Amino acid sequence: MIESVQFKNFKALRDATLPLDQFTLIVGPNGSGKTTALQAVNVAVNPVPPNFDQVISAGLDQKAVVETVIAFHQPYGGINLRTVWRYGDRPLSQYVSATPERNSVFVPEELIKKLNRIRLYSLDAQSIAAFRPLHGGAELMQNGADLVVVLDQLRDGNPERFEALNEALGQWMPEFDRILFETPAQGQRAFLLRTSRGKHSIPAASLSQGTLLALALLTLAYLPDPPSVVCLEEPDRGIHPRLLRDVQEALYRLTYPENFGESREPVQVIATTHSPYFLDLYRDHPEEVVIAEKTEQGTQFKRLSDHPYLDDILRDSHLGEIWYTGILGGVPAHA
Amino acid sequence: MKIAVFSESLENEEAIRIIVDCLLGKTTETTGLPNLQARGWPGVKGSITAILRDLHYSTDAEALIVVVDSDDSPVHHNNHDQPGGADFKCRLCYLRNEVERTRSQLKPRAGRAQMKVAIGLAVPAIEAWYRAYIDPHVTESAWIQGLQSKRPPYSRNDLKQAVYGTPRPSRQLEQQRGTEEAQRLAQDLNLLERLFPIGFGSLAREVRSW
Repeated sequence: MIESVQFKNFKALRDATLPLDQFTLIVGPNGSGKTTALQAVNVAVNPVPPNFDQVISAGLDQKAVVETVIAFHQPYGGINLRTVWRYGDRPLSQYVSATPERNSVFVPEELIKKLNRIRLYSLDAQSIAAFRPLHGGAELMQNGADLVVVLDQLRDGNPERFEALNEALGQWMPEFDRILFETPAQGQRAFLLRTSRGKHSIPAASLSQGTLLALALLTLAYLPDPPSVVCLEEPDRGIHPRLLRDVQEALYRLTYPENFGESREPVQVIATTHSPYFLDLYRDHPEEVVIAEKTEQGTQFKRLSDHPYLDDILRDSHLGEIWYTGILGGVPAHA
Repeated sequence: MKIAVFSESLENEEAIRIIVDCLLGKTTETTGLPNLQARGWPGVKGSITAILRDLHYSTDAEALIVVVDSDDSPVHHNNHDQPGGADFKCRLCYLRNEVERTRSQLKPRAGRAQMKVAIGLAVPAIEAWYRAYIDPHVTESAWIQGLQSKRPPYSRNDLKQAVYGTPRPSRQLEQQRGTEEAQRLAQDLNLLERLFPIGFGSLAREVRSW
């Protein structure tokens, strides 16, 4: 859906364009603007957007203008969504034509609906495990809170999907075979995982961080109506390297639903990572990798597939290992 | 017979075992160790020595099966088998050399015969074996000619698309389709050997000699 996001004076992104595919994995050093880029995708549709002081690049004064422009793939190819911040004013988001000579632009309602379904996740194990009050229409929150309510809804509203999720959980983590629920206090819900051996119930709060993060990712992948765009910070965090293929698979289930027998709309996924192991999994799909390169002029994004000698460079090496060396860019600078 | 399988992906193990069992004419056993897994060819290259040493000193494995993809590397040639002719860019030559070097350094263990090792080279990837005699264009010679003319007849993603219906298969689908195709291939492994005489042939001849 989103083809690119252009940034001007937006935090670490002074003048950069982030190219996006249906699936995009962004790698780069700390402070290179990966998280900022994810936030910017969400900003234009955020009911409480950040103000000028929160987004202006460090060192610029009040005369500077901050801008993000989101461009879309077909069928929304002629439309841009531009958000402008000026000192003292509220941020202004508006749809504009991608071709400057055209003044007006028709924005389909479908696009607006999709934009309202963009979600940013920075999952946190403690929030995922927390018990929560039941309420209708719950969604997984940015930090993973409300997972228990989402699971409860899935079990009641889509029992087949809930069973499929249980099965996937068992394949990913064979030590568990089922998600269970309990009521720790009136009106509250908590989840537990049942062990395959012994059928013991382990409360969410006692599960490992990796298990909780994996369950949240898996749940997202099995939702009947997931967000239109999922921006995900470090989905590999806390997960054993041998299970990273499962993380990739959960994300691909969102992006390429037809490969998994799903008939729902594909979800655009934008994820970040620092893991060479996770990056290795994208060797055959360099078009899905974007490298955030920090330069003196600010961060620049470049698609890995645009590297002119990539095949010659990689040869017998791991992509992650080669990235780590620094020759592909996107690594921290040293004094 | 207890064998360990070491390949680029865990999802291939069952398919490889089906093929090896068929070549041996008997059902093999696992070593009871966690499945060996490498992250692609660099992982195989970097850990083959350690794997061999561990299997020799710490397990009762009698044999090790190694299957790697050739990807875009030079495919093994008869000339490589001549004295001094080995080409270490060829993955088969590289692995054979590493195996021989490591085996020669291992200290004998009482009651333990030398570990048997068979190496298969899937040209360019194991999915090519899975397409054998379904797609007449997928053969070792077609790939080698393509490499020579710098116009590969198909890519690894093409093969994945053909075998799994997508270049991004799930683990489950990879395992399931691999098992199905291995069962099909096991009906007549001589034919697979005719289509892939170097990479599969190397594995088949070694295993049959055990």
